[in-house]
Amino acid sequence: MTAAFTARASAALTDPTLKTAIERTTGNARAKRAAAVAAWPGFEAARDLGRDIKDHVTQNLAFYLATFERNAIASGAHVHWARTADEACEIVVRLCREAGAHSVTRAKSMLGEEIGLPHALEAAGITRVETDLAEHIVQLAGDRPSHIVWPALHKTREQVREMFARLHHEPGGLDTVEAMVASARRELRQKFMQADVGISGANFLIADTGAVCTVTNEGNAELTTTPPRLHIVTAGIEKLVPSTAHAMSLLRLLVRSATGAELTQYTTFHCGPKRANDPDGPSEFHIVLVDNGRTRMLTQGLEDMLRCLRCGACLNHCVVYRQIGGHAYGGTYPGPMGAVLTPVLDGLKTAQDLPRACTLNGLCAEVCPVKIPLPTLIKGWRDKSWRLGLEPRAATLALRLWRLAAQHPPLYRLGTRLALPLLRRFARTGWARTLPLAGGWTAARDFPAPARKTFLDQLKERRK
Amino acid sequence: MTARDEIFAALPRAASANPHADAAALLARVPALRPARVGPDPVASFLARLTGPVIAATAERLATRAEIPAAVRSYLAANQLAPRLALQPSAALQTLDWSGIAALPTIAVDEPVSVCEADYAVAETASLVFRSGPHMPTLFAFLPLHHIVVLEAAKILPWLEDAAALEATRPAPRNLNFVTGASGTTDIEGTLVRGAHGPAHLHVLLIGGQIAALAPQPANVP
Ligand code: SF4
Repeated sequence: MTAAFTARASAALTDPTLKTAIERTTGNARAKRAAAVAAWPGFEAARDLGRDIKDHVTQNLAFYLATFERNAIASGAHVHWARTADEACEIVVRLCREAGAHSVTRAKSMLGEEIGLPHALEAAGITRVETDLAEHIVQLAGDRPSHIVWPALHKTREQVREMFARLHHEPGGLDTVEAMVASARRELRQKFMQADVGISGANFLIADTGAVCTVTNEGNAELTTTPPRLHIVTAGIEKLVPSTAHAMSLLRLLVRSATGAELTQYTTFHCGPKRANDPDGPSEFHIVLVDNGRTRMLTQGLEDMLRCLRCGACLNHCVVYRQIGGHAYGGTYPGPMGAVLTPVLDGLKTAQDLPRACTLNGLCAEVCPVKIPLPTLIKGWRDKSWRLGLEPRAATLALRLWRLAAQHPPLYRLGTRLALPLLRRFARTGWARTLPLAGGWTAARDFPAPARKTFLDQLKERRK
Repeated sequence: MTARDEIFAALPRAASANPHADAAALLARVPALRPARVGPDPVASFLARLTGPVIAATAERLATRAEIPAAVRSYLAANQLAPRLALQPSAALQTLDWSGIAALPTIAVDEPVSVCEADYAVAETASLVFRSGPHMPTLFAFLPLHHIVVLEAAKILPWLEDAAALEATRPAPRNLNFVTGASGTTDIEGTLVRGAHGPAHLHVLLIGGQIAALAPQPANVP
């Protein structure tokens, strides 16, 4: 493991409240998802269908992108294309500048985080107002999201209360979570109405209508995108689906896997700007379609990952994420899906620890609503890291020794015969508290004493 | 090369000779695997889900549209709200007798109450559907604290796919909103709080249909 990752993970492990905070939200999510899945006998078949819909789109991406673009333009939208994160941010900042925007509201979008849009807007001197409650908390704290569905799950109610009391204009009571939510509602209300530009992401891009689908439970997406003069959508090119009906099948999977509900409170299809006689809505509607590594994933054997719905189920079920939380991963996307995506976005050298920070227990693939083989993809990165010589020297050496022994049975037998008595000397009580070269293991748990004789020796004796 | 050209150049040629047919074939698998959420009477399924523990909205049934203002009056009184509301600027609602209530065709940022009519609803998820247009400003469904929604029982569709099929026959509105319960958040320690940014209370006035009794639900259909 690199020093930076070890430091982040250690900090997370010693944080006194983090693990409780993570368990509160993910435990809830796991229980609700399990109940929703149990109530749906067709869930397995629906996962197959979800996988096949997304694969069909990936395999015909050029067709669906062109169809979407044509229909979006026909609806009055402007469509922009960005190869990279920087290019996408430049387009958004330019549109804001051209509109003379002072203030923009933003509805939570993982793609926005991925391309660094919050930072780009600030660097351009544009006031950014995060409207999702969790993103609002993260913004006030000068923090980063730590979960793709609950970005502020690392914050306790005490921390939120302290921050709201200090930074809100009319915080009022704040004794209960209800009062904190009410304070945020008051704080953001006028800002929704005063913004010049509203920026959202997309959960789905509907090819046959040119519409953009967003899902929220708070209602902040519509309040973000309706009052301002401009609505800008930033979306990854993998978000396409053929039609509204296809989106419905994926919504059933997405929402149950994310929160256990059957549908989010607000599921909206945004199509074009305000019509001639509409009383509200933006007069300009811009869609920025972002590649940022996605076409590259097609050539790297990572096309399965383009199915990801960003539901967060793999995070909620990951034994590593549940211990270290999202920040330790160091990228936009944490957990199993982050271990696959971050090396694409930040490079394997920078993100080499993420595929290693995984037990390969397979739970993520079991819960993924579109059956992404996450452990296989993670192993793919480990393989690549080995071939590029990024694996730590000690691990490489140990594996080479192992290979040598495994290929030469007499050597293997000799090795185990020599190791057994040695190990037993450290474990006189039945458990070893310290072991040479295994300090990492024994720091947190004891190592059991091995059997007196090797398996093969015991077998030989019994056969006599 | 422009960004657009470069992205298209990086994509493989389409795998399907006929993507439309393949996409339609995928949808043919849906009816067999949908969750059993709609009983023989979609109105009963809709109401049970809407007022059930998860969505937890309130509802009452009215025989005719003429009863709407009186029902709204008693809702306001029961919730100790002033006799004032934002009334969706649609002729069907504006022409009712609202005497005694200040019914405004516009909506203030802090409007406590709005009354809107849903275009239709979906029984599977108990979703109310609003289509933005000259007579339906989107903000009417998002700004108020109490959202009172009029819905004709005859306009309850069974499945989400039925909504998609209906929309495919009409020109798309700027906003097509599926509203499923009042606004909520679980962003602070996973605790559910209603009224995050949108309405905290959702009350449905269901017009027509069989008023007499809620049809009993088959056991496996919640
Ligand atoms: S990889 Fe699967 S489980 Fe994880 S966020 Fe994506 S869709 Fe959800």
